[in-house]
Order: sequence, then structure tokens, then C-alpha cells
Amino acid sequence: MREEELSYKGIHGIPVILEPGNAARVDRSSWRLVRPVYNKDKCTMCKICYTYCPDSAIAWTKEGPVINLTSCKGCMICVEECPTNAMTQEKESS
Amino acid sequence: MQPIKNIKDIPEFDLLTGGSSVCAGCGPSMGLKLALKVLGPKTIIINSAGCMTLLPLFPNTPLKVSWIHNAIENAATTAAGARHGLDALGIKDMNVVVYAGDGATYDIGFASLSATAIKNERVIYICYNNQAYGNTGFQCTTATPYGSDTKTTPRGKENPIGNTTIHKDMLKLMGVHRVYCATASLAYPVDFLNKINKAKERDGFSYIELLGTCATGWNFDPRYTIKISRLAVRCGMWPLYEIDDRKLSLNKEFKELKPVDEYLQLQGRYKQLPPDGVIKLQSLVNEHWAELNEFNEKRYV
Ligand SMILES: Cc1ncc(C[n+]2csc(CCOP(=O)(O)OP(=O)(O)O)c2C)c(N)n1
Ligand code: SF4
Ligand code: SF4
Ligand code: SF4
Ligand SMILES: [Mg+2]
Repeated sequence: MREEELSYKGIHGIPVILEPGNAARVDRSSWRLVRPVYNKDKCTMCKICYTYCPDSAIAWTKEGPVINLTSCKGCMICVEECPTNAMTQEKESS
Repeated sequence: MQPIKNIKDIPEFDLLTGGSSVCAGCGPSMGLKLALKVLGPKTIIINSAGCMTLLPLFPNTPLKVSWIHNAIENAATTAAGARHGLDALGIKDMNVVVYAGDGATYDIGFASLSATAIKNERVIYICYNNQAYGNTGFQCTTATPYGSDTKTTPRGKENPIGNTTIHKDMLKLMGVHRVYCATASLAYPVDFLNKINKAKERDGFSYIELLGTCATGWNFDPRYTIKISRLAVRCGMWPLYEIDDRKLSLNKEFKELKPVDEYLQLQGRYKQLPPDGVIKLQSLVNEHWAELNEFNEKRYV
């Protein structure tokens, strides 16, 4: 990767990160052995999964939770804590 | 900000993104994510060296607020300095927050914490207590519970108990500084965030200690992070209470505690703790719980 492609630039030789929260683009999907799967029909919009996702991999929208599989590390807290089994788990294929 | 009534009221923005290199299901990072929902963007975090120091790892950061990497010894006094600097600039609407581990808080940075608290500096000090020096491989701190297996107190034939020291009563210690003190748990996020909110609105020092449920160090499947956080409260291993101007208030009262064994069995760090160790741990819990109930709504320290 060339310097101009990076989201930071040096100030007097000291590199700084210019974009707060740029880690959101880092792909952590290879950490997962299992992935969460959302079933809208069973969801009561209680927000528990959104509250507890430690990696902010669940966004809250008017339609309910939306999982971001780039950030999700597969901890399964959302699956374990969902009171209605609207979140279930599935094995990663590779 | 008005007190939060239920989970649905918790603000819908995140100032800590994903993509960082902390472990999957990390309790302390979940705690920071939640706290920032109440603290908001006008916040400076002072972090003592520890697991959370891995959050911003060049060239990436999950943070959308200011962050100072600090030595382990003096995060509290750095925070006091930041507050004085803001005051000199006439900036009043910034939160100055320490996010420090138990090793930094109970042991290595205790002198600086005590000095900052007794001067009642306008700082919110949050200790995420994962009950060991997590970042360096889980060595014993003075926050480590009796009976826990750690790198420096390994369970074995010669020492079946693991850690034989009884942890410091940190809330009592901070209580004598006459500041606002509270314990918190990830399983009770509304209670936790209302405590942060209370601290934010104070014109002085606050000390909040969050049980930093840690799948890696405590050796359990990360899916149980909340389940274990909840059991810690239900078993009396982590009671939720506040000390304000030396008066105690229990925030979650139970007629009967669950046996500590239910909590211990889910974690590898207590695996093979012999029955006399479990009995001793249960008696320590019972003693603390009785003390808290005796002094509830009374002067405590
Ligand atoms: C004076 C000093 N001693 C030791 C270290 C090495 N060190 C770096 S992180 C760390 C662990 C800190 O433990 P804690 O504060 O509980 O945070 P955790 O790692 O558990 O998140 C240690 C011992 C240090 N940075 N400074
Ligand atoms: S599995 Fe863990 S990281 Fe992934 S969405 Fe659920 S709570 Fe978030
Ligand atoms: S925890 Fe389950 S029911 Fe609640 S919002 Fe998430 S998916 Fe829906
Ligand atoms: S060791 Fe524990 S506290 Fe440290 S990053 Fe991993 S889960 Fe978090
Ligand atoms: Mg620690």
C-alpha cells in the first residue's frame, strides 16, 4: 500500500490517523468460526443485541438490527442474549 | 440528560466502532462503547496501559473521541492536568474520563488516583476490573478474587487454591475520599449508564467500577459474557451499590443470593478449586453481603 492511499498522513514525520473510527473498515471476518443469522419474523425489536454487541457490528435501524459481517468477530453474545431466538448461529463454511 | 428508564432508551449512536484487535466478546470494550453513549463526543479518555490500549492500533482507530495513551502509574493525575488545561482555556463542557484496568487502579496507579480523588478534581474515573493484569498474560492483582487461577498464582498440587489473597475492598477505600463511588455490571446496562450520567453531572470526582468480564483471562466461551456478568451480581460476587458522601445504597437487592458455585462453574479460572476453597469464597461473599445490608441507607465509611 502506498502512503497516499492510507487514511493518515505524517506531521513532521510523526504519523497521525486523520479519520476517527477508520477501524470500522478493518475486516475481522476471519476471526469467526460461527456467524449470527437474523430472523425478522421472530424479532420483538427489544434492542438487546444492539446494546450488547461489543464490536458495534449491529446497527440499529427502523427495521431492526442490521449485522455488519466485516466487524463481527463471532462472539455469539447477540445469539445467547436474544430473548426470542431471532438471532441464531450458523457455521462459517471455510 | 434525563435518567435512562430501559434498554430502548439507550442512545442510538456509537463512538467506538468495530475492527479493533481486542478479543471477541471483550467485556471492557463493551463497557467503553456503552459509557460513550452517555458521555457523548465531547469527551477525553485517559487510558492507562492495559488491554484497552490495543483499541487504537496504528494506522487504525475505533475511537471517535479524544484518547490519551498514558503510563500505568498516573492516569488520574493526567486527567486532573487535562481538566486544569481545559479550565485555563475556559472550556467547561468536556468530560474528562479515565478508563483504567484494575492493575492500574488497585496497584500501580493507586497513589495518583487517591491524590486526584481527595482533591475532588472534576474527573470521572472508570475502572474496568477484569481481576488481573490482562494485557501481560493474566497475572494476579490485588483485585483478583480468592481462589482464582492466574499466571502468578497457578493452581497446582502444592497450591490447590490459586490466589490465596483476599482482594482489596476498593469501593470502601474510595468511599473514605468522600467522592461518589459505584459498582456496575454489563448485565445491568441501564443502571451502569445512569451511574455514568450521575458522575457526568457532578462538579467533582467520581469513581465507577465496572466488572470487566473477560472471556480470555477467565477462560470461558465469550458468548457467556453477559450471563456471567449477571450471575456475578446474583451470587453476590459483584453486588451493585453506591457510596455517596460516605452513605451506602444497595442498587439491586435480593432476598436470597444464588450459590457462588453457579458462577464459578462456568469459568476455567476456578476449575478444580477444591470444596474448602469454594466454602471459603462463599463465606467471604456472605460476610460482604451481610455488611452491605447492615449499612444500606446508612453512613458506611
Ligand atoms: C510500571 C509498569 N509496570 C508494568 C507495565 C507492563 N504492563 C503493561 S499493561 C499491563 C497490565 C495492566 O493491567 P490492568 O491495569 O489490570 O489492565 P488490563 O491489562 O487487565 O486491561 C502491565 C503490567 C507497565 N506498562 N508499566
Ligand atoms: S456475534 Fe458478537 S460481534 Fe457478531 S454481531 Fe453478534 S454480538 Fe456482535
Ligand atoms: S435481541 Fe433478538 S428480539 Fe431483540 S432486537 Fe435483537 S434480534 Fe430482535
Ligand atoms: S484479555 Fe480480556 S480484557 Fe483483554 S482484550 Fe481480551 S477479553 Fe478484553
Ligand atoms: Mg486488569
